[in-house]
Amino acid sequence: MAATGPVSGFSGADKPEYADYSRCVHCGLCLNHCPTYRLWGQEADSPRGRIRQMQLVDEGRLELGEGFVTHIDRCLDCRACETACPSGVEYGKLVEVARAQIEQHYQRSLASRVARDFVYRWLLPHPRRIAAAARVLRVYQRTGLAAFARGTGILKLLGLQDRERLLPKIDTDFFFGDLGRTFPARGPRRARVAFFAGCVAQVTFSELNRATIRVLQANGGEVVVPAGQTCCGALPAHAGVRDVARDLARANFEAFPAIDFDAIVTNAAGCGSTLKEYMHLFPAADPAHEQAAQFTIKIRDVSEFLADLGLTAPLREVPLRVTYQDSCHLAHGQKIREAPRKLIRAVPGVELIEMKLADQCCGSAGVYNVTETEASLELLALKMDSARGTKAQAIVTANPGCILQLRAGAAIHDTGQEVLHVVELLDRALQRA
Amino acid sequence: MNVSNAMVLSRLAELAGPSHVTNDPAEIATYQIDGKSPAAVVRPASSEEVAEIVKFAAAEKLAIVPTGARTKLGIGMPPRQFDLALDMTRMDRIVAYDPGDLTLSVEPGIPLHKIAGTLAEHRQFLPLAVPFMDRATAGGTIASGVDSPLRQIYGTARDFVLGMEFITGEGIAAKSGGRVVKNVAGYDMHKLMIGALGTLGVITKVNFRTFPLPRAARTCVATFRGPTAACEFRHGIARSALRPQSVEILAAGAGCDPLLGRRAAVSFEDDRWSVVVSFAGDEPVLDRTRRELQGLARGMNQNSLESFTELRANLAENVNRYIADLPAAILEYSPAAAIFKVSALPMDMAGLAADIHGIEVPWLVMMRGLGVTYLALLPPDRSEGSLRVLKQECARIFSLSERAPWGRSVLLWCPSELKREINVWGAPSGDFAQMQKLKSVFDPSGILSPGRFMGGL
Amino acid sequence: MPMDSRLLHDLKKLLGPRGVLHEPEDLMLYEYDGSVEVARPDCVVFPRATAEVVEIVRLASRHKVPLVGRGTGTGLSGGAIARHGGIITSFARMNRIVEIDAENQRATVQPGVVNSDLSVAVEHLGLHFAPDPSSQKACTIGGNVSENSGGPHTLAYGVTVNHVLSLEIVLPSGELMRLGSPALDPPGYDLTGLFVGSEGTFGLVTEITVKLTRNPEAVKTLLAVFDSVDDATETVAEITARGITPAACEMLDGWTIRAVEDYVHAGFPLDCAAILLIEVDGLREVAEAEAKDVADVCALHHAREVRVARDARERDLLWKGRKNAFGAAGRLAPSYYTQDGVIPRTKLPATLRGIGEISKKYGLQIGNVFHAGDGNLHPIILFDERNEQQFRDTIRAGDEIIEFCIQMGGSITGEHGVGMEKDRLMPLLFSEADLDLMRRVRDVFNPTGMLNPGKILPISKGCGEIYVRPRPALAPPSA
Ligand SMILES: Cc1cc2nc3c(=O)[nH]c(=O)nc-3n(C[C@H](O)[C@H](O)[C@H](O)COP(=O)(O)OP(=O)(O)OC[C@H]3O[C@@H](n4cnc5c(N)ncnc54)[C@H](O)[C@@H]3O)c2cc1C
Ligand code: SF4
Ligand code: SF4
Repeated sequence: MAATGPVSGFSGADKPEYADYSRCVHCGLCLNHCPTYRLWGQEADSPRGRIRQMQLVDEGRLELGEGFVTHIDRCLDCRACETACPSGVEYGKLVEVARAQIEQHYQRSLASRVARDFVYRWLLPHPRRIAAAARVLRVYQRTGLAAFARGTGILKLLGLQDRERLLPKIDTDFFFGDLGRTFPARGPRRARVAFFAGCVAQVTFSELNRATIRVLQANGGEVVVPAGQTCCGALPAHAGVRDVARDLARANFEAFPAIDFDAIVTNAAGCGSTLKEYMHLFPAADPAHEQAAQFTIKIRDVSEFLADLGLTAPLREVPLRVTYQDSCHLAHGQKIREAPRKLIRAVPGVELIEMKLADQCCGSAGVYNVTETEASLELLALKMDSARGTKAQAIVTANPGCILQLRAGAAIHDTGQEVLHVVELLDRALQRA
Repeated sequence: MNVSNAMVLSRLAELAGPSHVTNDPAEIATYQIDGKSPAAVVRPASSEEVAEIVKFAAAEKLAIVPTGARTKLGIGMPPRQFDLALDMTRMDRIVAYDPGDLTLSVEPGIPLHKIAGTLAEHRQFLPLAVPFMDRATAGGTIASGVDSPLRQIYGTARDFVLGMEFITGEGIAAKSGGRVVKNVAGYDMHKLMIGALGTLGVITKVNFRTFPLPRAARTCVATFRGPTAACEFRHGIARSALRPQSVEILAAGAGCDPLLGRRAAVSFEDDRWSVVVSFAGDEPVLDRTRRELQGLARGMNQNSLESFTELRANLAENVNRYIADLPAAILEYSPAAAIFKVSALPMDMAGLAADIHGIEVPWLVMMRGLGVTYLALLPPDRSEGSLRVLKQECARIFSLSERAPWGRSVLLWCPSELKREINVWGAPSGDFAQMQKLKSVFDPSGILSPGRFMGGL
Repeated sequence: MPMDSRLLHDLKKLLGPRGVLHEPEDLMLYEYDGSVEVARPDCVVFPRATAEVVEIVRLASRHKVPLVGRGTGTGLSGGAIARHGGIITSFARMNRIVEIDAENQRATVQPGVVNSDLSVAVEHLGLHFAPDPSSQKACTIGGNVSENSGGPHTLAYGVTVNHVLSLEIVLPSGELMRLGSPALDPPGYDLTGLFVGSEGTFGLVTEITVKLTRNPEAVKTLLAVFDSVDDATETVAEITARGITPAACEMLDGWTIRAVEDYVHAGFPLDCAAILLIEVDGLREVAEAEAKDVADVCALHHAREVRVARDARERDLLWKGRKNAFGAAGRLAPSYYTQDGVIPRTKLPATLRGIGEISKKYGLQIGNVFHAGDGNLHPIILFDERNEQQFRDTIRAGDEIIEFCIQMGGSITGEHGVGMEKDRLMPLLFSEADLDLMRRVRDVFNPTGMLNPGKILPISKGCGEIYVRPRPALAPPSA
C-alpha cells in the first residue's frame, strides 16, 4: 500500500457504492444458490466473494485487474443470490456497476474489445443492423451451409461445435413489420397495453411475439406495438456498457408514453427486469430518473399481467406433461414465481411436475452461453438432468434466452423434450378452441 | 493393599469420617465383583471428599471402583486390582430441579425411583426405564450405559444428559456441558463418562433434561409365527406415521421357562414371536394407533398373525416395567445366564433373529425396535458341563459378531467363570488407540476401575 | 508469511492447479466467515476425496503448517478462519451423498454436502435430516458436525450430535480412522459424541453417517402476537407446564419483527412487542390437539392474535421470517454482531430486561431473536464497522450480555460455538482445571496443536478479564 493510503480502484459515477456493498454481512447464505459457486466451489466465484472483491477494489486493496475481471465476467447475473440474501443486497445493481468500472478502466484483449464493441455498440442498438445480420445468418442456416459445416467437422475444428448449437435459429418472417400496429381486443376490451417487442427477439422469436399478442387479445387486451421502440439495453447494461443502455432507455421513454397504457408488457423476463430497473441507470438528480420512474411502474411481464388480469378466453384441452424452468430474471430479478405456474395450471389437460432446483440458472444468462461456453454447458447439463428426471414432455419457461438454451440442451442431451414459452402453451390451447 | 495397613484406613476415616469407612468382611463381600472383594469400602458425602480420596488413592496406587446400588457391577470385566469400593450412595441429593426449564441436577447416588417421585409431582420424568430400576442409582445407570425400551422415542443418556461434574483419576474436580438444554461450550467430556464403567472418572453430579409425562398410554401385543413376520411388523411401524414409545420383539427357544414370557404377557410357545408396542397420547391418538397397529399386524403375509391384543391398563404398566427390567428378571431366574447386547441395523434384525432361532441351548431374546438386541443364553444350572456349553456358545456368538447381520456384540452379563476365558467386550474397535490415550489423560496412574472396560482399560 | 514453495509444489502436484489457491487476491476471500473475525490463510486447498485429505494433512504436518477445515464459511464464531495462517482445507468439492439407506433411515455423506441438500434428496422417501440451523440452505454437514449445530427444531428433535452415528476422520498425524458405527451403541468410549462439537480441532471429517428422521404426518405452525414480552415468555412457560413439547418455539421481539417484516412480508404486525412462532407436529390428532392447547394458552396470556398457517406456503413464509431474521438486521446497519447466549428459559424476562439496559448503556440497537423453547438467545447488535469506538462498544456489550447469561446459570454459546470469538470467555464458565483437562483431551487427537489453532481454549491462563481485540478492520474506502 502506498504511503498516501489506499486509493480506490473505482472512479467516476456508476461504481459499487459503500452503501450497497456494505449491506452484505458475509453470512454466506447465498453461496449454495449461486450456480458458479456450485460448479467450482470457490469464494471468488460466489456472490459473497464477488461483493468482497468489489469492496477490496474500492478500498484499494485489490487491483482492478485480470483476476477481478475474470470472476466478475463469470457471474451469470442470474441474481439467484438476491433471492437467497436476507440482507437485501441488490447484487444485480452491484455487478452491473462493477462491470461498468471494468468497461472504463480495464483494457481487454483486442479481440474481446472488437467483439464487444460490435455486439453492444454497433449491433444491438440498431434494429436495421440486427435485421441485416440476421439475414446473413439465415442464409447460413437455410442454405445447407450449416449442415455442411456441421457434417464436415469444420465447426469442431474451430472449437465452435457446441457454440453453434447455442445460436438462435433465424425466423423467415421478422417481427419488425408489426411495429406501429394496433391489435384489437377480442370481445370486450379489458385493458389497453403496449407490447415491448425486444431486439434480437424480432428476428428469432417473431412467432413468440405474435403468440403473445394473440393471447393478450383473446383475453380482452388491446395491444399496441409502438413504432419507435428499441432494444431494452439489458445486454449492454449487464456488460457494463452503460452509456448505450442509457441511450436506449431514453429512446424507449419516448416510444412508450406511459400514461397511454394500462401496462407495458414484455414476454422476455430478461428485458422485463431491466425495464423495471431503468431507475438504476440514472442518478436521482438526472431528470431521466423521474421519467424512468413513470415508465417502470407500467412494466409487466406477460405472465404477471395475465395472472393478475385473469384468463377469460376459453381454453381447449392440451394433454401434456410439462415442467417449469424459472427464468432467472423472472424468479430472482422480478420475484415472480407463482404467476407462470398459475397460467400453466389453468390449461386443461396440462400436468405440471416440478423439477429439482427449478430456479437454478440454465446457463443461458444473456450472452454467457457464448462468452463462457464451458460453464454454460455444465449448467445446462445439470438442468437437463433435472428436466429429464420429471419425465415431462415439454419444458415451459418465460424468457427467449432460456428457450434457446433449453432447446440446445434438449438436442445435445437428446431428451426429446419440447421447449415452450408460457404464452405459447396458452396460445396452443387457444388455437384449438 | 495391605488391609491391615492401619494408615490407609485411618487416612480414609479422616477423609470421609470414621463411620463411613469399613473393612468388615461381611460388608465388603457385598461389594464383590466377579468374586473379587475390595479391601475396604468408603462412603464419601461430597465431591470434595471424593477428590481427596482419589488423590490419596492415586498416591498410594490403590485401585478404586465407584459403586451405586451395585446392581450392575456384573457388567464388564472384573477389576485387575480392587482396593477400595467408593460407595456413592451417600451423595443422593437432588441438587436442583427446575420444572419450568425441564432441567434436573442430581448427585450420583440418588436412586432412580426417588427422582421419579419428585419429578412426578410436576408430571415429568426421566426416560430411564432400566434394569433394576427399583434400586439403581443415577450414577450407576449412566456409568454402566444401559439403555431402556423408551429409547425408541427419547433416546439414551447420551441424548438427555446435559452435563456432568466428575473427579479424574488424579483427584481433580472437572466438569463439562452445563445445566441448560442447549450448550456447545467446550468439549463434551461427559459424553465419555456415559457407559465408561467409571474408568475415566468418578461422576459427582449429573445434569439431566427432564420430559413431560405422557397423559395416557396403552400397550398392545401382536404375536406372530416366526421371526420374519414379527420383524416385518416392526418395519411397518417404522415406515408409518405412528410414534410409539417402545417396540420390543420377544421370543424364546425350547427349554426357556414359559413363566418369563407370561409375565411379559407374551407366549413363549414354539416359534412364537411377540411384538409389544406401547404408545402414549390422548384418546383419539391412542384409538387410532391401536387401530393402525392392528391393521399392520393383520396385513403381514402368510396369515402369520397369531393374535393381537390390547392389555388392560394396570397389566400394561406391569408388563412395561417387567420388560424394561427383563435382564434383571432373567438373572434372578437364572444367575448363570449369559446376556449379550448386539447392535445391528434394523433391516438386519430378521436375519439375526433367524440365526438366534438356531441356537441349541435355551435362549430368550428381546429386540428393541431401533436395532439393539438382548440375547440371553440360559444354562440349566451352574455345573461345569453347563458352563462349558455356555462358553462354547458365547464364543460362537462372538465369532458371528464379526459379520452381518450380527453387528457388534458385548457380553453384558455372564457367570464370572466365563470371564476368565472370554473378554466380554469382544475385540477392541479401530479407534481403540484413541481410547487408550484418553484413559491415560483422565486416569494416568490407572487406578479407576482398572481393567473393567474394553481392551483392558 | 509466504508459503514454502516446496509445500506449494507438492500440494499442486496432489490436487492440480485448480485445487490450490495461493495468490493474495484469492486468499483475501478466505479471511472471513459469517462472524466478525478476520485472518488470512497462506493457502486454500480443495480436495475431492478422502485420500487427498490424508495427503494434505501429511504434507501440512511435515511442514509444520497450521491446518483449518472449512465448509461454507457460515460459522458465526470464526471457526473456519485461519487465525494463525496456514492451509485452509475447503470441503466445498467433497459434496457427494455417498449412500442413502432409506430402510435403516441412515445416510452417508461427504462433509461438504449442504444440510438442506440432504433433506431435499430424501424428501421423496418421507425422510429428512433433523438438525435445521437457520443457515441450513448454505451450511455443510461437516460444519454442523464440527459446531454441533442446532436449530429451531432442536427443542423436540435434538442437535447434530443426536443424529450422528459414525464419522470417518483424518487425524493431524495423517491417520485415517472411523469413529462410531452405523448401528447403535458401539462398545467403547463415545468418541463420536466427543468429536461432534469439537470445532475442527480434533481432526478433519471426511465422511459422516447420520440418522434420517421420518417426516411428521402433520405440522401446525402458529403465530401468536403479544403486546408485552412478559406475556410471551409466560406463554412459553405455561406451554411447558402443560406437558407440551412443541417441535419449535421461537420468539422475536418488536424491533426484529419490524426489520424482518420489511423484507419477508410474512404478515408480522409492526406494532407489537413480541411474537411467538410455535410449531407442533406428529400424528394429525396430536398436532391438532396440541395446536388447540397452545392457542388456548396464548389467548390466556393476552395474545392479541393467534394465527395458524393454513398451508405449507403460509408455514414457509412464517419460517422464512424467522430464519432470515439475522440477515434482515443487516439491512439496517452496515454490520451486525449476533450473540449466542443460553439461559434457563424461566430467566427469560429478567435477561431481556438486562439486555435492554446494556443496549441503553452503550446506545446500541439490539434486536432479540431466540429459541425461546430452549432458552437460546440471539441478541443482534447493530453497528457501523467504520466507527472504531462503536465496534469496541459492540464487542463489550456482547460480552456483558454473555456475563449476564452466565449469572443466570446459562452458557456462553448455545449453537454457534466458541471458535476464536469466545475463547477468552471460556474462563467465565470453566475452571482452569476444566480447561486444562480439555486441553489434554484435545492433545489426544491433535498433539501438536496445528489443527485449527487458536480456537476454543484460551491461550492465556487465568482470569476471565474482558479485553477488546484489535478491530479486524478493513481500510476505510477512499473516494
Ligand atoms: C444467518 C445464519 C444463521 C445461522 N443459524 C444457525 C442456527 O440456527 N444454528 C446453528 O447452530 N448455527 C447457525 N449458524 C452458524 C453456522 O451456520 C453453523 O455453525 C454451521 O454449522 C457452519 O457450517 P459451515 O459449513 O458454514 O462451516 P464453517 O463455518 O465453514 O466451519 C465451521 C467449523 O467447522 C469446521 N469444519 C468444517 N468442515 C469441517 C470438516 N470437514 N472437518 C473438520 N472441521 C470442519 C471449521 O474448521 C470450523 O471450525 C448460522 C449462521 C448464519 C450466517
Ligand atoms: S448473479 Fe448468479 S452467478 Fe452471479 S453471483 Fe449471483 S447467484 Fe452467482
Ligand atoms: S446472502 Fe447477502 S449478506 Fe449474505 S453473503 Fe450473500 S450477499 Fe452477503
